[in-house]
Amino acid sequence: MATPSSSFCNQRWRDYRAILTLAALFAVFPFILPYTALANEIMLFALAAAAFDLCLGYAGVMMFCQASFFGLGVYAAALTLLHLTSNLFAAIGLGVLASASLALVIGFMATTRSGSYSVLLTLAFAEMIYFIAFQWSGLTGGDNGLTGIKRPNFEIPGFFSINLQSSLAYYFFSFVFFIVAFYIIRRITLSPFGKILMAVRENEQRAQAIGYNTRLYKMLVFVIGGFFMGLAGALYCMYICFAHIHYVHFEISGNIVMMVLTGGMGTLFGPVIGAFIIVLASDLASALWDRWMLIMGLLFIFFVLFARGGLWSLFEKLLRMRPAGEKKN
Amino acid sequence: MTDLIIAQAFNGLVLGMIYVLLAMGLSIVWGMMDIINFAHGLFFALGAYFAFSVASWSGNFAVCLMVVPLMTALVGMLLETTLLRRLYGQNILYQILMTYGIAIAGRELIILIYGPVGKSFDQPDLFVGVVPIAGIFFPIYRIFVFGVTALLTLGMWVFIEKTRWGSIIRAGTENLKMVSCLGINISRVFTLTFGVAMAIAGLSGVLAAPMRGIEPFMGDLILGICFATVVIGGMGSFAGAVIGGLIVGLSQSMVTLIMPSASVIVIFLVMAAILLIRPRGLMGIRD
Repeated sequence: MATPSSSFCNQRWRDYRAILTLAALFAVFPFILPYTALANEIMLFALAAAAFDLCLGYAGVMMFCQASFFGLGVYAAALTLLHLTSNLFAAIGLGVLASASLALVIGFMATTRSGSYSVLLTLAFAEMIYFIAFQWSGLTGGDNGLTGIKRPNFEIPGFFSINLQSSLAYYFFSFVFFIVAFYIIRRITLSPFGKILMAVRENEQRAQAIGYNTRLYKMLVFVIGGFFMGLAGALYCMYICFAHIHYVHFEISGNIVMMVLTGGMGTLFGPVIGAFIIVLASDLASALWDRWMLIMGLLFIFFVLFARGGLWSLFEKLLRMRPAGEKKN
Repeated sequence: MTDLIIAQAFNGLVLGMIYVLLAMGLSIVWGMMDIINFAHGLFFALGAYFAFSVASWSGNFAVCLMVVPLMTALVGMLLETTLLRRLYGQNILYQILMTYGIAIAGRELIILIYGPVGKSFDQPDLFVGVVPIAGIFFPIYRIFVFGVTALLTLGMWVFIEKTRWGSIIRAGTENLKMVSCLGINISRVFTLTFGVAMAIAGLSGVLAAPMRGIEPFMGDLILGICFATVVIGGMGSFAGAVIGGLIVGLSQSMVTLIMPSASVIVIFLVMAAILLIRPRGLMGIRD
């Protein structure tokens, strides 16, 4: 039974099964959660969190500029719809392109240094993006944000047109993107490229000694992360039909980091659970108590001290599944 | 016009000195303990809020200047011994997440206690008014702040360069293992160093409060600027913190004259430029 090919098939099958479970769960979310918008928010942040998990959990690249990528996706999609065209895919494409380019620039600057210095640079650049968005109010609407964005329909003129105006229809439209993106991220982590990323995470010097240009890999990780976070942002923009500087604010970055930390770094599925919990909890808690961020801060401390594997490691113990990428330390 | 430029340059100098104090603390903690303290801005805010309480209770600004740094140092040492200490020598990620968590929790506690709306902080009576020098009016309070910060910077320089404690800090920044091999109790040194850094951060909060007012989010903004300052000056370098702080303060105030909306953005542009030309920072001692 234990021939290499059958174990390979098992691996493949387990992989598909995990993705299918994820898809099934997200397919029922809009019907069991209090309202569809919440399900949509969970899904898009789950995408951003999974993208960041690729950076942090697999490549060991920490950053604090997730909001810049996500927010630029939001702004680029909003500006495309307001000023250029009402084409759905143009908005998504430009959103993704803009944040991937920004990720390239920030990645280039941040990887000039390593370790803590690099993290600090991402934060400093995120602050800069925030201030530019805040001050350039002619373009971004400043503190008022951009309103009047119309969600386009999914259509190819002359062939078909699908109405996306209901939030449920839009949910399932972005659902397709979410599942495909998640699958791609998962494939990346399982690919040889993913193995190199893990090598960079475990021992950068040794990876260099073997002959890998580790800086290039880290920059690529930035770009891939920025790409998917931008995708999440662009989809988010059309879901909420609004762009605001809040989406480039540091707090969004903090939340995404928190999702990955609570869910479990280097597991991809964990951050999805993290996104589910953080979005749901902040939705419920913010209605009850203005200062719910206090709990968030304490949770950070708690998870760092006592539960570094996140919730996924608990889950794993229950399900007895093999970890996707083991994280030392 | 030249009057305006000189007055604004002076404002930039004073602002820069506040950044110098903050960057010094950040840089010492970073260089020695290898911790990027995301809660550094929190201690700046704590200093301002403690000063607000102490001032309303005692009505005396001098008491604030004496007591508040001790309070923030105490809070800092408490956090160091209970939380940060558990993370030394581990992946920097956890230290970043921990201090970030502390920063959020602290900010929310401030809002819980003092309310979300900012407060104005009256200038101490003694320092209200302006002094005309060569036809230009300089606010007395700012002159006072400049004097205090300059003295403190000098004091810190003497402390770091001329005292036994300072040489331990410098040696620790260079090679921590060697220092502990020489029989120095590193964990006590860490606690006290962190305390000193937080005392300075708190004091800069006290000094800044009458100039800018206080609000719960003041620490968040200043944190990014401090990081930029340290990147410009170079990590772990005393002279770097001073030069970085002054560059940041002056460029911020000078750009305000030309294009106020870009005054904060320019800080980060300077940082990016320095990073490209000289990655270790102007005075950085190590990569």
